[in-house]
Amino acid sequence: MGAARGRDHEGAARELSVRTMSRIRATINSIRARLHHDEIAREVETELRLHVEMRTRANIEAGMTPDEAQRAALQSFGDFDNVKASCCEIRRSLPFDSTPLRMGLHIAIAALAGAAALWTVNTPHHSLSSLLSQLGFVAVLTCLFVIARRNQKPHRQ
Amino acid sequence: MAKSKAGLLQGTLDMLILKALSLGALHGYGIGQRIAQISGDALKIEEGSLYPGLYRLEQRGWVQSEWDVSDNNQKAKFYKLTRAGRKQLILEERNWERLAGATMKALRAS
Repeated sequence: MGAARGRDHEGAARELSVRTMSRIRATINSIRARLHHDEIAREVETELRLHVEMRTRANIEAGMTPDEAQRAALQSFGDFDNVKASCCEIRRSLPFDSTPLRMGLHIAIAALAGAAALWTVNTPHHSLSSLLSQLGFVAVLTCLFVIARRNQKPHRQ
Repeated sequence: MAKSKAGLLQGTLDMLILKALSLGALHGYGIGQRIAQISGDALKIEEGSLYPGLYRLEQRGWVQSEWDVSDNNQKAKFYKLTRAGRKQLILEERNWERLAGATMKALRAS
């Protein structure tokens, strides 16, 4: 019985490590997709176009003219642009609920902006440039906060 | 006689993709062909809808993809099932059998 329990533990640990590894891989892919947006869009388009080409070839082999074959291939594929957009969106999305992470990031930026504002107000300024640089810092943090908030709002269609 | 094709129930496409890939690595077009083949050409699938499904499955770690050369010497993206994907397929098959059984039981009730 002890041996069976040991095997169960081993199996569960192995499964957890497989799941963790696949999550890490998916997270890396998602970050890559965000950083190389154009490259990913090209890759998706290449893949989808290849599908349409293969279907067109099969239609020609089935006796259609090249024009008919391509039209039929595009029709059986569905809305090409919509499929491409969905695929790119899925590639960019994180494999876990990122709401707590985003919320933490917003709070951190807001706290940093507040602290920087207090620091600017409470520091004696000997020159206009030091005051301007501190105000600039506060402005940058505020912008970051606004951008992060804007990205968090769900897109409505 | 023309065969009428059945539309897919929500959520079954992912299971069919996993099933198609359980028989070996394939590119997107090949997956569509294999689903048509194993279902006896009875299911109506808009071919483009395979891809968001594939990307979702890859995101969940159930399939893995890599670019390789296809039979006709063309570069293509091939998908294969991961170990987690194989387990997921077993789970989904069991759920599907349970659901189908319960639905049939309900339909046959007098």
